[in-house]
Amino acid sequence: MIPCYQSATRFIPARYQAALLLEYARSQDLDDQALFLGTHLDASAMVSEQVLLTPGEYLQLLHNLNQVVASRDTPFMLGQQLLPGHLGNLSHALLQARNLRQALDILIRYQAWLSPLLAPRLMTLGDKTALYWTDSCVTPRLRGFVVEMMMTAVSGMSRWLSGLRLPWQYRFNRTQPAYIEQYAVHLGTETRFNDYIDAMLIDAEWLDRPWPRGNEMTVTLALAAVEQHTPAEFCRQSLLAALYDYLAERIRLAPTLERTSADFGCSPATFKRHLAQHHTHFQAELDLVRAHVTLKMIDQQGYSNEQIAAYLGFHDANNFRRSFKRWTGLTPSMLRAHLLQARLME
Amino acid sequence: MSAIIFFPPAAAMLAAPRFALIVMTLLAGVFVLIYASLGEAKPLAVWNWMDIVGEGGTALMSALWVMLVLSSRPSGRVTSLLAGGLAAIALGAWVDSLDEFFAIPKTQLWDNWLESLLMPGGMLTLTAGLYFWRQEQFSLNDHMRKRERLFREHRAFDRITQLADAEYLRRQIRLEQARSADQPCALILLDVNQFHQINRQYGQAEGNRVLQAISHLLLLNLRSDDLLCRYAGDRFAVLMPATTRDDASRMAHHLEHCVRLLAHHTQAGSERLRITARVASAVADQEVDTLLERLNAMLEPASPSALEMAAAA
Repeated sequence: MIPCYQSATRFIPARYQAALLLEYARSQDLDDQALFLGTHLDASAMVSEQVLLTPGEYLQLLHNLNQVVASRDTPFMLGQQLLPGHLGNLSHALLQARNLRQALDILIRYQAWLSPLLAPRLMTLGDKTALYWTDSCVTPRLRGFVVEMMMTAVSGMSRWLSGLRLPWQYRFNRTQPAYIEQYAVHLGTETRFNDYIDAMLIDAEWLDRPWPRGNEMTVTLALAAVEQHTPAEFCRQSLLAALYDYLAERIRLAPTLERTSADFGCSPATFKRHLAQHHTHFQAELDLVRAHVTLKMIDQQGYSNEQIAAYLGFHDANNFRRSFKRWTGLTPSMLRAHLLQARLME
Repeated sequence: MSAIIFFPPAAAMLAAPRFALIVMTLLAGVFVLIYASLGEAKPLAVWNWMDIVGEGGTALMSALWVMLVLSSRPSGRVTSLLAGGLAAIALGAWVDSLDEFFAIPKTQLWDNWLESLLMPGGMLTLTAGLYFWRQEQFSLNDHMRKRERLFREHRAFDRITQLADAEYLRRQIRLEQARSADQPCALILLDVNQFHQINRQYGQAEGNRVLQAISHLLLLNLRSDDLLCRYAGDRFAVLMPATTRDDASRMAHHLEHCVRLLAHHTQAGSERLRITARVASAVADQEVDTLLERLNAMLEPASPSALEMAAAA
C-alpha cells in the first residue's frame, strides 16, 4: 500500500500555517471569528503544539480570509511570510540551505509540512530548471489563490536568503487576471498566462550559487532532528501527488484504475470516491501525467510525434495528436512553435 | 492623522446609538405615561388606523435614521445636530400618534405645546445639521481631492493607505486621456526598495505603517490636481494631468528625494528605518495596459548579476 494523506487527514501544525493566517487577519483589523467560520478552531488553538489541521480546514481558513479581506494582495502577503516559516528544525534547515537547489530539495521532500496543498516538483526544460506545482488538496476555486501564495513564498524565500531578486520566469495555467498589478509588483514582469503548467523557471546556473547564510553542517543536523521526530506512519505526500508519481513511473504500461487502486490498497469504487473528494478522476490524472511527459520529451529531446506516440503506447501519431490536444488545448506542433518562440525571445 | 476622520474607534461608535436608543425609549415611555394619566383612553371603535400607521411609522423610521446617523458617523457637532433633530422629529411623531389612543380634554394645552415644539424644533435642528454637514463635506472633498480626483467610488479604496487601487487608476487614466487628448497627462510609479525586508524584520504591521507614512508624505508633495493611488504592494502611482515629460521626471525625482529624507521610526523600538525608493515616469500617450507594463519594466531592478557586481565593487 502506498501511504499518502488526503484532505481529511489531520497533520498540519496549526501553530505554523494557521497562526500566520490569524496574524494576517488581525493586521487587517478582522475579527477572529470571521477567520474561523465553519471550523472548530479558535485563537487559543494557534499557540498549542498539539493542535493539528486537515488540509480541508486549512483551505476553509484561506477561503474565509479571501472572502472577508476581499483584497487581491492577500495571497501575495501571506506568501511573503510563509517560508522558511516557523517549523523548528525544518525551517532552520531551509534558513541555512547551502543554495537554491538544496532549499528546493528540502521543500519537495518535506512538502507535507511546507506546502500541503500543492505538490512542488522539479523538471528540466532546456537550459532552465522549472519548479512546477501539481494539486495535492485544493478546490478549483482556491487553486489560483494557493498558486499565487506558494509562488510568492518560494520567490520571497530565495530572494531573502540569496540576497538577490532572482530572475524567475513565471508561467500560469490560467487566463491573465484583471489584477495584473499584483503579479507585476510581487513577482515581476516575467509572467506568462494561458500556459499548460504552473511553473517558475530559472537558469540552471542559479541553483548551485552559494547562499550567504549557507551552512551544510546545520542543515544536516537539523534535518536529522526532523527525521528523528517524524513518526513512522507520517505521510510525506498527498494522494494526488503519490498518484502522479505512480503514474509517471508506469506511464508506458497503460495504467488502469483497477490495478492502481489495488496498489493504493483500496477497491476501485473507494479509490474513485477519494479522487472525487479531491475534485478529479482517474482519467484526468492520467492525462495530466501524459501531458507533462510529452512536454518533457518535446522540450528536452526533440522527439517526433511518432516517437512519443510509440513511447506512450498510442496506436499511431494521429491518435496521440488528438489526445494531446484534448489534454492541453494545444497540438504538439503548436507547442513546439510556442517553445521555439519562447527561446527566441530570450 | 487623517485616518482618524474616517475611522472612529468601533467601541465609541457602538456606544452612542445604544445611549440614544435608551434615552428615546425612556422619553417615549414617559410620554405614554403622561397621556395615560392625564387623558382618557379612546375606545377601539374610534381608532383611526390610517393616522396610527402614518404617524407611528414616521416615528419609527425617524428613530431608525437616528441609529443610522450615529452608527455611521464619528461624534461631533454635525452628528449631534443631525441625530438630535431626527430624534425630536421621531418623538414629535410619537406624541402625535398617542393622540389617536388617548383623548386629552380641550382645556389642556400642554399636548399642543409638546407637538408644536418637538416637530418644528426637530426640523430646525436637522436643517442646521445639514447645513454644517455641507460645510464639512466641502472640507472633506478638499482632503480627498488628491485621492479621488474625478469621481467617487468608495469600494476602490485600500484599507491601509486610504488610497484608490490600480483598477481605479486605469479608469482615471482612460478618463483623463479621453477628456483632454491635446494635453497628455503623465504617470509616475514609485517603488520602495527592499520593502520585503522591512516586512521580514519588523513584521507586516510595521510594513503597513511605513506604507501609511509614505502615502501621507507623497500626498503632501503633490499638486492639488494630481491623483495618488496604491498600485499594488509597495508600489505607488501618481497621475498628473496636463504634464510634460520633463515636469513628470522632475516630480518623480523630487518624490524619490522626499522618501529618502523621511524619518520613519518603528513602533516597537523607535529605530529609524532608512527608506529609499526608485521611480519611473512617462507621458501617458499610449494604451493604459501597455503604459503600465512599460513603467513596471523600468522599475525592475537591474539583472541580479549586475547588482552583485555593484555590491562587490
